[in-house]
Amino acid sequence: MSTETAAPVQMLNVQIDGVWMQFPKGTRVIEACNQANKYVPRYCYHPKLSSPGNCRMCLIEMGMPKMGPDRKPVIGADGKSEINWIPRPQISCAQDVAEGMGIRTDSQMVKECRQGVMEFLLINHPLDCPICDQAGECRLQEFSVEYGNGASRFLEHKVKKPKNVEVGPRVTLDAERCVLCSRCIRFMKEVAHDDVLGFVDRGSFSTIACHPDRTLESNYSLNTVDICPVGALTSSDFRFKMRVWFLKETKSICTSCATGCNTVVGSRENIVYRQTPRENNDVNSVWMCDFGRLNFHPIHSPERLTNPAVKGPGGNEVTPWEIALSRAATELKKYRGDEVAIIASGSFTNEELFLARKLSEAMGTTLIDIIPHNDQGDKILLSADRNANTAGAKLMGVTGGVPGSLLGLISSGLKNRTVKALIVLGEDATKVLGTEIANAQIIVATNILPNGTTKLAHLVFPGASFAEKRGSMINKKGRIQRLNRAIEPPGSARDDWEILRDLIQAVSGANGIYMIEDVFKQMAAATPVLAGLSLSKIGDLGVQLPLETGEAAAPPPKTDSPTAHTP
Amino acid sequence: MNLPAELSAKIDEVITHYPVSRRSATLPLLHLIQEQFGFVSDEAITWIAAKLEIEPINVLELVTFYPMFRRQPAGQTHIRVCRTLSCAMAGSYQLLDKVCAAAGIERHGHDHGNPVAVSADGKYSIEFVECLASCGTAPVAMSNDDFHERVTDEAIPQLLESPGSSATVPKIHPPHWREKRIVFQNIDREGWSNDIEKYLLYGGYQEMKKAFAMPRADIVNEVKASGLRGRGGAGFPCGVKWSFIKPDEKKPVYLICNADESEPGTFKDRYIIHQDPHQLIEGMIIACYAVNARLAYIYIRGEFPEGAQILEKALAEAKAKGFLGKNILGSGFDLEIYVHRGAGAYICGEETGLIESLEGKRAYPRIKPPYFPAVLGLYQCPTIVNNVETLCHVKHIVRMGGAEYAKLGRPNNTGTRILCVSGDVQKPGYFEVEVGSLTMGELINEVCGGPKPGRTIKAVTPGGSSAKVLSATDRYKIKEKQADGTMTEKEISLDDIPMDFDTLAAVGSMAGSGGVIVMDDTRDMVWTLNNINEFYAHESCGQCTPCREGSLWMKKITDRILAGGGVTGDANTLKGVADNIAGRTICAFGEACAWPTQSFIAKFKPEFEARATKPLPPPMPPEILPEELIANTEIQTLRGPHSEGTNERIAVAGSTSSKEELASHEH
Repeated sequence: MSTETAAPVQMLNVQIDGVWMQFPKGTRVIEACNQANKYVPRYCYHPKLSSPGNCRMCLIEMGMPKMGPDRKPVIGADGKSEINWIPRPQISCAQDVAEGMGIRTDSQMVKECRQGVMEFLLINHPLDCPICDQAGECRLQEFSVEYGNGASRFLEHKVKKPKNVEVGPRVTLDAERCVLCSRCIRFMKEVAHDDVLGFVDRGSFSTIACHPDRTLESNYSLNTVDICPVGALTSSDFRFKMRVWFLKETKSICTSCATGCNTVVGSRENIVYRQTPRENNDVNSVWMCDFGRLNFHPIHSPERLTNPAVKGPGGNEVTPWEIALSRAATELKKYRGDEVAIIASGSFTNEELFLARKLSEAMGTTLIDIIPHNDQGDKILLSADRNANTAGAKLMGVTGGVPGSLLGLISSGLKNRTVKALIVLGEDATKVLGTEIANAQIIVATNILPNGTTKLAHLVFPGASFAEKRGSMINKKGRIQRLNRAIEPPGSARDDWEILRDLIQAVSGANGIYMIEDVFKQMAAATPVLAGLSLSKIGDLGVQLPLETGEAAAPPPKTDSPTAHTP
Repeated sequence: MNLPAELSAKIDEVITHYPVSRRSATLPLLHLIQEQFGFVSDEAITWIAAKLEIEPINVLELVTFYPMFRRQPAGQTHIRVCRTLSCAMAGSYQLLDKVCAAAGIERHGHDHGNPVAVSADGKYSIEFVECLASCGTAPVAMSNDDFHERVTDEAIPQLLESPGSSATVPKIHPPHWREKRIVFQNIDREGWSNDIEKYLLYGGYQEMKKAFAMPRADIVNEVKASGLRGRGGAGFPCGVKWSFIKPDEKKPVYLICNADESEPGTFKDRYIIHQDPHQLIEGMIIACYAVNARLAYIYIRGEFPEGAQILEKALAEAKAKGFLGKNILGSGFDLEIYVHRGAGAYICGEETGLIESLEGKRAYPRIKPPYFPAVLGLYQCPTIVNNVETLCHVKHIVRMGGAEYAKLGRPNNTGTRILCVSGDVQKPGYFEVEVGSLTMGELINEVCGGPKPGRTIKAVTPGGSSAKVLSATDRYKIKEKQADGTMTEKEISLDDIPMDFDTLAAVGSMAGSGGVIVMDDTRDMVWTLNNINEFYAHESCGQCTPCREGSLWMKKITDRILAGGGVTGDANTLKGVADNIAGRTICAFGEACAWPTQSFIAKFKPEFEARATKPLPPPMPPEILPEELIANTEIQTLRGPHSEGTNERIAVAGSTSSKEELASHEH
């Protein structure tokens, strides 16, 4: 918390639809209207991008204080300055409020402007809503309800433009649906810093395009689909898969790297169809990377582990949970604490990691760590740390200051056979432990998909994917955020915290945990920085923890110049 | 890409003209590449992008925006025929057909989207282009870079075969006695030439020296006192514009001469550039000194290749004399002026569009606020954009003094201005007169010899094709100030309207750029409006919704009426569309494209209604024929640039009859 007192923000008097209100200096007119519950329709304006003012949908009536001969505002009967209304409508997206400004969003002129722009936008639009992916979340549809005309005056042929164009590996363009708002162009230039989109041709024939040598390959390309107000840019992945109004929206976070972008998981009948970013100005603004966004597909892999399995003579055999768990406990209890090692996933929730730590305590081992996953990061959102919860693993004591530093010890322990039992939680230990892993006398593994470790494991427990579980994670900047369950795990797969709870119970007796809230309660009691928190208190936007993360808790990706209106 | 050493050197030199941003050199490089290879290849686009360290899409954006750039080779002799109103009225559609016949070019299927038609032998190619800015000598055409005026049938062989241009040759004749020549004093003058020695012999560059001896603020004040209003179209007071530049401005200040003369009906700047370039340069030096601009550009339209060469030669001459460069004549003032060529986009005449274009971008006008050029202009620095004629007046204001200059013309409408008359008059041409000293009737009947024999004037567009049309049968109410200071209202005829800024505005039109287009009683107003609509539909930059969608819609409606498919609601729809454009766009192009439609419908509605009587439109030609749907497993949906049909074959199959019908109306 900053102890400096910020300079007081100057408040300006603005009249909106006849009512005087106050707004802080620097408030964009369109945002002021929004705050006054006078939503102004818009296509090109996006609060995170520069304002080109090209769609003309946000035209309003504007006036400035009437000046007397003494160059001072003329004060009216209501004690407020009188307003000189500008005869031409003005755009509300590119101007900030000013003292004494008057705004009308509900006048006849404003209504006619909006109707006029809607008519223009629709004359060359294909009106193919029945098969358009944007239908249901399309600004053209929404504003048509309010400002559309019942009948068309347009008797001519529509302009033909390219359709079904793959502008990039993940984005499909239908140029006929495009309203040329330039949001995608500005996003690629100002946020993704990859200026590959542009306009070609002129006038009514203008079209969004890429140069063939430099297509929309950016790892942020799918954000253009999110901000496209119409169905021009669609996700090649989501295209034609599901009507959006059938999607159940679950607020969650992305678990593909340590950034923890806030998301909405769109699912229907236990199937996730898409993942989209959710605004959190302390984390990801309104963006997320394509890698994280599309990283939900493994959830629905036909390979998914759906039943506990015990290695038998004929390979892994499906075994009921109770039997498999008690078998695991029996096997594990055969070893001394220092003969047991635990490898947990750095993308587990805090709750799971807390229980992993408790399991290690129950087993009496200190050989517990996570496997670090590092890859190329970028300066926008994607973190080089591909573990979603390294900070949580550190806080829960599952790993030390340098994640993975105990892996060498575990590996050598396996080699010289001092480590005899291995518990691998949501990871593939074969990659870091090599062939030595075969020396383990018993391997207990949890995972959602088969991998090298589950193949070797004597007991395999099917876990839940990020979309199937609740819990919390701490991102690289020390912000604790919440995962919510969008769908149920398949088959008899269970939440990993439940598996861990049951394992702990099986090796050490009752532990008083019935719900995930109980885990959090115990965890918060044991962890001072979490004192007073609960899953519900974390809320949708998370809570910044006072952690030393080495990363400033500064706001995330900024546009080049968020206030500039670079055309 | 292999470039000749000379071209490589030229390219490197041109890039130095833009010390602030290499991207600005995109248009010049595209011109140089096209001059060398005849077209801009895909390889060239990539090469230019790499050379200027920009993304290839940024080059592709320009190649597809500016119509002068071709992505396919043209013929050895490339003919450009002007399609715009005054030339069309003088028969440019027929001229186009005749040139095609003479050159063996099959032009069927070519339109603005696919403009260049090449003869089978590759010797000739032809293109219908928008206004070449010589409306007084219509019809006009260009053969490669050579300009040809009044192209009669007999002149077609010369157009195809003989090099040489008629643009630079002065047509020696004395001014009309009603003229007051100041800016045009050397135009068409016997014994005059455009080299610097001649200019110096007649007292050239004296005003520059006089200005250097004056404090900057004094020059601005003199220009303010002169009452000079911009001659480009908007009529904004020049001195007021200059005074927006703070005397203690920390950022660099730029001055741009707007020589993108392209408002149909206007053809004045061309003659200054061709015949008296030093007058312009001297005016620019004074203006730059007054606003403390150290770098200036002349943005000249791409269709003036000779003009650009003349200006470059004149600038070199001025530099050789020490009038440009470092510490000019010991004044301590440094100035460089460069010529920057446009490439066929009318919107570059809009000052913020021009600035974007000069920055190497598509000429998308900027929103105001916040982008007032005097505050956030070129490279986000304070910038003054002035028209050619305006800058020339500056020289004379310094010579005469502001107060003396203000005695010319009428109050608030001071000085002289050049009126360009084209269309249906006996003697079209350019005339420099004191503002308001002539009435419309005097201009048309006395100065321009009146209507052609046996005809009467039907309508006049007084300030370029975007100005609202005035009907000869209407009466116009104006307010007149009496000697005792009271205002009285007076009703006058078209002939009695004085040609000044304020009166033309009061009668519902504008003085605009001074381009007067006269239409006589033989003119079909639907055809005329359609011609204007096609111009604006082609020139809309496409940035903002109302103009992008509305300009083409209006053209399509008038197309349909001409083709016999007019329905009863069309006149009202046209007006409704225009009403939804005017006042709601980023720049004044919205008004420019809406005013003609609004005024033609207001003044000549019966003509439109008589042509649009069907209760329902005739069935549209199918875009994809049912048999094609059956025969083809895949229907091609990609189109050529600007082409309206789904592809060539389908467009031909579907719309032959209406196109022929349309053509017969045009002839």
